[in-house]
Amino acid sequence: MHEVVNFIDLNMIMIVYLFIVGFVGGLVSGFIGSGGAFVLTPGMMSLGVPGAVAVASNMCHKFPKALVGAIKRYKYGQVDIKLGLIMAVSATVGVQIGIKIQNMILERWGQSGSNLYISLSFVFILVTVGGYVFRDARKIARSGGIETVASLARRLQKIQLPPMIYFKTADVKISLWITIPVGLATGMLAATIAVGGFIGVPGMIYVIGASSLISSATELVIAFVMGLGGSINWAFHGLVDIRLTLIILAGSLFGVQLGAIGTTYVKDHVIKIVMGIIMLTVAVSRALAVPQYLNELNIISMDPAAISIMTKLSFAIMCLALLTGAAIILVSMWKARKAERSGQALQNPSLAEAATH
Amino acid sequence: MTESNLIKKKPKGKMLLFGVFSVGLYLALFLNSETVMRFFTKGGMYAVLPIGTVFLFSYVHGAFAGNFWSVLGIDAKKTQLQEKMEQKKSTVRRSEQSRPRIRVQA
Repeated sequence: MHEVVNFIDLNMIMIVYLFIVGFVGGLVSGFIGSGGAFVLTPGMMSLGVPGAVAVASNMCHKFPKALVGAIKRYKYGQVDIKLGLIMAVSATVGVQIGIKIQNMILERWGQSGSNLYISLSFVFILVTVGGYVFRDARKIARSGGIETVASLARRLQKIQLPPMIYFKTADVKISLWITIPVGLATGMLAATIAVGGFIGVPGMIYVIGASSLISSATELVIAFVMGLGGSINWAFHGLVDIRLTLIILAGSLFGVQLGAIGTTYVKDHVIKIVMGIIMLTVAVSRALAVPQYLNELNIISMDPAAISIMTKLSFAIMCLALLTGAAIILVSMWKARKAERSGQALQNPSLAEAATH
Repeated sequence: MTESNLIKKKPKGKMLLFGVFSVGLYLALFLNSETVMRFFTKGGMYAVLPIGTVFLFSYVHGAFAGNFWSVLGIDAKKTQLQEKMEQKKSTVRRSEQSRPRIRVQA
């Protein structure tokens, strides 16, 4: 398979571009537990990288990035390893179910039908879940930033269906039979739209009842386990372009650690705000890709020039989603650090003076 | 707590060490990219090469990046868990200090 793949020649502009996208993607991943990867695959393809190589190289950078982020956030006491591992195992099964559904659609309606299914799933899930996350974040912000356990999670925690599992860091006791479907859905989404975290993190928050801080950190464990498995598979087929992987990794390892540091400064609901905004913006981007597939399936008829503009606009909005998320993280972090420093200066003026010298 | 305790020492040495290692690894890979790509894309058991490489780079470059932010003064705010752990450590230290000792006068 690998003999027919053309690996691209790299130039300085490509290297800088991949480094920056890696950094921004890493920053968002370190903060909300996922995201970033959805821009990298089309981003690499726009440079001329074949689709399979772009997916493989992206995934191969994703798991070490998630590992570094997870270790960093574990040190801050934010990772629930048991929850992460149970979710990861069930998500791995979910990926296989997702692939089977994809193959069925591909056989029945061809490539355009499959693309249309992916885009419609993207739009439906991101609007529904992203909209809910964003509304919830705004509600929390208005009520003074105090996050409470979601009512659905509270009701589900009361169901005594053995085996009941206690997740120490998340401080949640819930039936395994409620945890597994969340993991399955995460895997199915990962197989469909390549960003399982968009369902995994909200699932852990609203269904299992973990806080957004713990959920976003635990998602990094899931991303590591799933990414490692996927990368071994791609590397086995010789499709990983290690140069691309390592350039993106160079930027993302800076980003993921900065994002992880950021979580210790901001209030928990900021994670939900960033996640909600990114999900809703990505939904708009994917909605713009739908007419192209409808046109290919002869359901509608559109001018090729208009389709080309919409495709470019779709990619631009996707980049905007990532940049907006990154900007919110950096601004929130900067504000929180400033507030903390002024608080310290008030408590200990001599320390503030010493710090400035 | 003294001022020197509050103002954490910046890990400049570690950053430089891991930075040099990281640059060395990247140079080694990109200066031999043709050979690297030939073996790394063979597939099969050769899959161990890209996987092992990303683990090595993530350790070295990850340590460099982490120390880089620390040198810039961008560190995590102390979490409740860390504060608890430090309190525990200081309690252990205090109990060690107050332990009675035998003094032998020859």
